[in-house]
Amino acid sequence: MRKRIIFDYIRQQDAKPLKRAGLLLFILIFPMAEVIAQSRIDTPEFRARRKDMVQAQIVARGVKDPRILDAMTAVPRHAFVPNHLHRSAYSDRPLPIGESQTISQPYIVALMTNILNLSGDDRVLEVGTGSGYQAAVLARVARDVHTVEIKEKLCRRAAKALADLEFDNIQTRCGDGYFGWPEAAPFDAIMITAAVDHIPPPLIKQLKEGGRLALPLGNPFVFQNLVLVTKVNQDIKVENITGVLFVPMTGQALKRR
Amino acid sequence: MLLTLVFLVSFAALVFEVLLTRIFSIAQWHHLTFMVISIALFGFAASGTCLGILESRLGGWVKKLTRPAGLGMLASGYTFSTVIVFLILSRLPLDYFRLPVEPIQAFYLAAVYLLPAIPFFIAGLTISLAYAHRPEWSGRIYFVNMAGSALGAFFPLLFLPFLREEQLSVLAAFAPLVILFVGGDKEAKKNMSKRIEEVQTLENHRSQHQALSKRHRYILISMGILVVATTLSPWASSFFRIRPTSYKDLGRIRQFPDTRIVDTVYGIRGRIDTVESPYLRYAPGLSLKWTEPVSASLALFKDGDGRLVLYEPTLEKARRWAPYTLSWAGYVLADHPRRILLMIHDGGTAVACAAAADPSDLTIVVDHPVMAEIMSAHYRRPVAAASSAEFLARSQKKYDLIQVENWGSSLAGTAALTQDHAFTIEQLGRYQDHLTSDGVLVFTRRLKLPPADMIRLWAAAFLSLKRQGITVPSNHLAILRNWDTFTLIVSVRPLKSVDTLKEFTRNRNFDPVFLPQLKPEDANRFNRFDQPYHYLEIERLARAFRASDPKAFLGAYLLDTTPQSDRRPFPNSYLKWTRLREIFETTGSRFYSLFLSGEIIVAVVLIEAILISIFLLSLPVMFGMHTGHLRVTRSGYFLSVGAGFILSEMYFIKAYTYIFGDPLISFTVVLTGLLVFSGIGGFFSQHLSNNRLTPCLAGLIGLLSALFLFHDSITGKLLHLPLVARYAIAGLLLLPTGFLMGLAFPIGMRDLLDSPSQRAKAWAVNGCASVVSAVASAQIALTAGIPVLILIGAFTYAIALICFIKIKHSLIHG
Repeated sequence: MRKRIIFDYIRQQDAKPLKRAGLLLFILIFPMAEVIAQSRIDTPEFRARRKDMVQAQIVARGVKDPRILDAMTAVPRHAFVPNHLHRSAYSDRPLPIGESQTISQPYIVALMTNILNLSGDDRVLEVGTGSGYQAAVLARVARDVHTVEIKEKLCRRAAKALADLEFDNIQTRCGDGYFGWPEAAPFDAIMITAAVDHIPPPLIKQLKEGGRLALPLGNPFVFQNLVLVTKVNQDIKVENITGVLFVPMTGQALKRR
Repeated sequence: MLLTLVFLVSFAALVFEVLLTRIFSIAQWHHLTFMVISIALFGFAASGTCLGILESRLGGWVKKLTRPAGLGMLASGYTFSTVIVFLILSRLPLDYFRLPVEPIQAFYLAAVYLLPAIPFFIAGLTISLAYAHRPEWSGRIYFVNMAGSALGAFFPLLFLPFLREEQLSVLAAFAPLVILFVGGDKEAKKNMSKRIEEVQTLENHRSQHQALSKRHRYILISMGILVVATTLSPWASSFFRIRPTSYKDLGRIRQFPDTRIVDTVYGIRGRIDTVESPYLRYAPGLSLKWTEPVSASLALFKDGDGRLVLYEPTLEKARRWAPYTLSWAGYVLADHPRRILLMIHDGGTAVACAAAADPSDLTIVVDHPVMAEIMSAHYRRPVAAASSAEFLARSQKKYDLIQVENWGSSLAGTAALTQDHAFTIEQLGRYQDHLTSDGVLVFTRRLKLPPADMIRLWAAAFLSLKRQGITVPSNHLAILRNWDTFTLIVSVRPLKSVDTLKEFTRNRNFDPVFLPQLKPEDANRFNRFDQPYHYLEIERLARAFRASDPKAFLGAYLLDTTPQSDRRPFPNSYLKWTRLREIFETTGSRFYSLFLSGEIIVAVVLIEAILISIFLLSLPVMFGMHTGHLRVTRSGYFLSVGAGFILSEMYFIKAYTYIFGDPLISFTVVLTGLLVFSGIGGFFSQHLSNNRLTPCLAGLIGLLSALFLFHDSITGKLLHLPLVARYAIAGLLLLPTGFLMGLAFPIGMRDLLDSPSQRAKAWAVNGCASVVSAVASAQIALTAGIPVLILIGAFTYAIALICFIKIKHSLIHG
């Protein structure tokens, strides 16, 4: 309705072309900015649903680390999903975020964070930023987080979302996470949030002694095991945690087994 | 004209059936094609039911459709329905995995399922029309039907190396249109002079047809040429191109930059795509301790899956990382093997291992001729093309190490129906016969949880060692694993370098699963599960074998892990129907994972086939169609004849797969041979009194029973012969069987039935029996073994014989 009034006004005023273009731009940008601003707003309703989510989906399934529970309670998950999915943001399932990718189920985010056993002073690398939600949760339980995303659109969108929420200990990069982030290595912990059918050797190289790597390992198109890889005395140990279903990791990861 | 059309339609329908199997094998998974093809073939049976109903309710349809215009309509209907169905199938974005989240996928699935039935319906209608219209020609009709089908079975073998599956399918679909350029049949012309009314009608139609043809033949010919040229053009190649599902290895690889298909070779044994990528890296079983790049220059894919990787031609870099693979354990145990034999199905790391061992004599055998040729050119060394059974049967050489590399399908369950003799007890014995006194046999496979393959392979190795006269077989066996693969080592001598093997395992961060004096805590150190499941189950299995009571363990185990034999060679089939619920829960309670399993697909299709058969056969009753009703004995006769033919055919296909080393070669040989010989039988039956059928059927039952009794000795002896002799003797074995099988159906059509609608119904009964028995035969072979198929085939022919005697008796005594 508001748009229509403004259009009529432009027509009636017979505004000059430049003025008209400026007005049109305003009309297009204003509602978008409004929606974007709204998407970041954390209402009491969202906060209440987040609390319910943590209790019903995470605590009930055995994740008890108070720092992780605090992080999951604090990070507004709805800010990382498309606007039309705000209502489902706290439901017990993954959600599509575009580019054939998903934001993981809240429990999986908590579980993967939990198995990394972070101390609060760790440097973490995340491969597969996706929506940016996992990086936001990690940033609240680690010293700093480096996150890499191969899909340009997702990468930019996540970087924007994280900046809007003022996470200053997260660094984002658009690129192939298969090669990790050699300049920032070594890391105390690495997390791959997309399915891979092998453990990328460059990531093992970038782990500190005693470092942990969590990843969904297995056929990227069917189901995987959530796996924790640890580097102890130059030995590599692989521990199977549970069965999961992730979207595939793209890029270099699919070129090697 | 009618017989010509029967021939052309039979030819085109069989080409379409064979190529549909190929197309679905490439685009989807082979076992899913089973589902689609079975439904398509119901088109044949449905045509009989439909014609029966039309004829009995309305009358005159058989006459109408057998006129030139009717036949022309059938031919055009077949051609255009095939092309349209093919176009729709090739462009439908079907994705089984999205079914739970995308309702439209159910529609796509239904379309893929039902559309192929349309051309088969028209083909079936044409053949059943011929029987209904000219019962006195039953032998001839049967002959041309079989001859057309035989040519159709052989056609793809001849032309696939030159044209793609999709191009051949479209081209063959145009064959029935040839009828538009053929005049009326001689028999009809003879009758015209005798029956004036008919002459007038036929003349009218003929003149109409001629008038039409004069005007339109040139247009039709031009259109035909245009279609053929278009189909063969590069534009059509991309338009019709069949692409593998993104769930297959090739589909996944192609999604990424710098990756391209550099060559594609088409053939009846599968489409081989050669993929080039500067970043292609593949080394299953590689230790995580190796963190440097693994270079590979090419990857070969068979029907979009089963990746075989070729590393740099000199294998210089590969020699460095190969000692970090799990398979290298065998080389450690063999201690500098000089003579090495590699039996490769897919993978490719075996070549790197062998190169690193630097043997004086290296023999590489690849089971696909095109892959063998490409590998040979790439590494510039001879590579033999043969199945493992075939190669060993004809070789006398001994080796210090034999490595079998066969990773199988990239999705577990999809290979459940695959017949593979590489892992049978007998084959393990043959490997051992080719090892020197210090020889070592190495298998590396995917690690599964719950353990299945590992248990089956250990048990097969144990039994084969026992058959070799070894008193404590477990002292000759070792298993190691990493996070996704395991290696089984069989040593001719009792394992001596156990400490060296343990040291290797420790250094590479692998875990031992079965070794002498192994402690449980050492079996779950580097690649940890919440319990050392693999170690525990193999220990229980070993205890059961030591106590000579393996059946107790195998019977109680969640999966069917019974070691496979040459009679039942299905190494990827693990389903136990009695434990289905537990298996479903253990594998994540996902329905789609059930539908990845070949055994489940077979069961679903079998139930479907039985339900559709009941529906089709009871449809005439629902329509109140009583004239042309078939009595139980007549139905029983055509049911048994249909089932007996297919069961015997399926037996030969599976038995010859062992002899020729490839299911598609076997399929082509058997189908062509049996159809030709049964066609000759049908032609011969034209002049054979039905009194002679009883001894012929008795002879056939005797022949099939003899094949059951002497299955092992026949297949065993044939395997040792040169290829030409194998083809010749295999063909000779098909001759009497095919000939005798070809008598029963046409004689029955000619002498045991009274009306066109009865014949149409008999055609439907026979069609339903064929489809149900084709599906059932897959299940019978999986559970009871291949030779049982021919025994049941003999049994069904015995039922046919009893029915025949009863019908004859009732005919004589009114």
